Amino acid sequence: MSLLELDGVGRTVVLPDGDLLEILRDVTFTIEEGEHVSIVGRSGSGKSTLLNLMGLLDTPTEGEYRLDGRPTAGLSQRHRAKLRGAGFGFVFQQFNLLPGRTAQENVAAPLLYSGGREFWRRRRLAEDMLGRVGLGDRADTMPEKLSGGEQQRVAIARSLIRRPRVILCDEPTGALDVQTGTEIMDLLDTVAAESGATLVTITHDTMVAARAHRHYRLDAGVLGPLDPAELAPARQVAAPRQVVAS
Amino acid sequence: MTGLAAAFAEAWDEVRIHKVRVIVSLIGVLIAVAAMTVITALGDMARQANAEHSERTSGRPATLSVNVWSETGMVAAEPVVTAYRELVERHSVGYASQVGYSENVMRFADGSEPISTIAVDPQYGEMHRIEPLHGRWFAAADADRLAPVLVVNEMFYQRLGAPDLRTNPTVVITGTRPVRATVIGVTRDAYEGEMPGAYLLTSHLDRWEIQGLYASTPTLELWVPPDSADQLTEVVRSDLVSRLGDDVQVEIYRADPEDFDVIDSQLQWVVRGVSVIALGMGALGLVNIALVTIKYRVREIGVRRSFGATSARVFFSVMMESVFATAVAGLAGVVLAVAIVKNVPIDELIGGAVTDVPEFPVGAAVQGLVAATVVGALAGILPATVAVRVKVIDAIRF
Repeated sequence: MSLLELDGVGRTVVLPDGDLLEILRDVTFTIEEGEHVSIVGRSGSGKSTLLNLMGLLDTPTEGEYRLDGRPTAGLSQRHRAKLRGAGFGFVFQQFNLLPGRTAQENVAAPLLYSGGREFWRRRRLAEDMLGRVGLGDRADTMPEKLSGGEQQRVAIARSLIRRPRVILCDEPTGALDVQTGTEIMDLLDTVAAESGATLVTITHDTMVAARAHRHYRLDAGVLGPLDPAELAPARQVAAPRQVVAS
Repeated sequence: MTGLAAAFAEAWDEVRIHKVRVIVSLIGVLIAVAAMTVITALGDMARQANAEHSERTSGRPATLSVNVWSETGMVAAEPVVTAYRELVERHSVGYASQVGYSENVMRFADGSEPISTIAVDPQYGEMHRIEPLHGRWFAAADADRLAPVLVVNEMFYQRLGAPDLRTNPTVVITGTRPVRATVIGVTRDAYEGEMPGAYLLTSHLDRWEIQGLYASTPTLELWVPPDSADQLTEVVRSDLVSRLGDDVQVEIYRADPEDFDVIDSQLQWVVRGVSVIALGMGALGLVNIALVTIKYRVREIGVRRSFGATSARVFFSVMMESVFATAVAGLAGVVLAVAIVKNVPIDELIGGAVTDVPEFPVGAAVQGLVAATVVGALAGILPATVAVRVKVIDAIRF
């Protein structure tokens, strides 16, 4: 049984003029626990919609999406929210850090929606997680005082704080320079491997995509395998010294 | 339990982080609650002043004023006074006073002049809430003094040269048998420019044969429980008629203004109305700013949904932000009101005629706080509804 299974999934929206727009068509693929999968596509190809569906932020209009073998179609909004919070971590291109909150408060924010001890220990857990991404000394810094790479590290720490089974990254290096982007991907690979989380990366950068175990191409809403020959060799840089493997 | 604590923590964080916006949006609520509390305090003060003024002039609720008269001429005072005394004793009325209005010529150092006098019993002071400015009011033991005593108004006192009452200043009450009376107390003038006046004891009139310039049948005032005032009116009337005969008319009326409760109630409604309008204006400002800012927080709400925030949680959190903020503003408003009421001499501003200064209206403060919180909840519903309707996908825009 696969962790994520998309079977003939489609997504169609109704435009304001009443016309139908088919964003995704007959998407079928599976992702196993602990895998790193990349999906390459140009802008407007439906990448983000696919990520939204996988992250339970959206629902397919055709086909079936199964999580741990169980169909997600009949889940209530509340149940979907609970599953999303507990099982998925999101990393956005524009970081989407909460304004006015320190790095630590940003990382702790998802724990406001978890229960029990995690909520009460959220500050401590956030500090630990910031240490893991090499920002232990920037816990009290506001996002606007952090560089782009540091902000994305905070976002990664935040996506990991609830120990999700799946990390969904949308253009995680899109707003970063090449060097910083490579460092961020190294970090993602490392922390995902350490926690055993599945990593799904959506990107238009073939060098970022090349780091995955399996690669897909999304073109005009249709998902297909990506020829490894199309991928640029993945850049590797030494992991930053402050990143602590645990 | 943890979920509730988390929602509160989230709401409080929002208030803390957006404190400038919160402060700006809540100035209206803060001022409204402060105004509400101060207005209530002012209202209490005004009502107290009104009540005290009313009681000073007409007696406390319920004061029955009994007048005996005849269509054929003046009624002799003696049988009437006797009937009054027996009536009071028979019905064990704790607070009763004869009241006789007249004028007596009094001799001052620089000459004599007629002075308005009111002959009363000692209980009259309590019945009319008389608090002397200097000295004291009549006591029961004064009836046995070797000289008549007077409680005079401020004008009379000034006429005497404002002497120290410890020196037992005296004035001569002229008449067929002039007698020297001692001034034992000074009361506040009922109004500015009041003519000199004096109270003296009814019992002293007979004892020293003090006769006024004109004779009048005294009236009787009875301070009775308001609930039984009507019933007692009839009892007193029939009692006096049976004693004095059918040829006299007995007139009994409530001397205290019966419509005071109505005025009081109307004043309260005015105070509440002003407060509600003030709070409503504050709430409108709050809703306005909350709605504008929610537009800027769409992305944040979307991100929170990605963390697993349910619609209910988003709604509750946004509403609680408003509740927290208004509660804090309400508290600040109450503190401001306390500072105003405690430091501004409100009683002097409304005439300085309050003897028993009302306590700070804690009830109004609590009401203001609760009202602010409720307003916060109501004002939070609209932005919370807007927040829930935010489309997560549009908000995040991967």
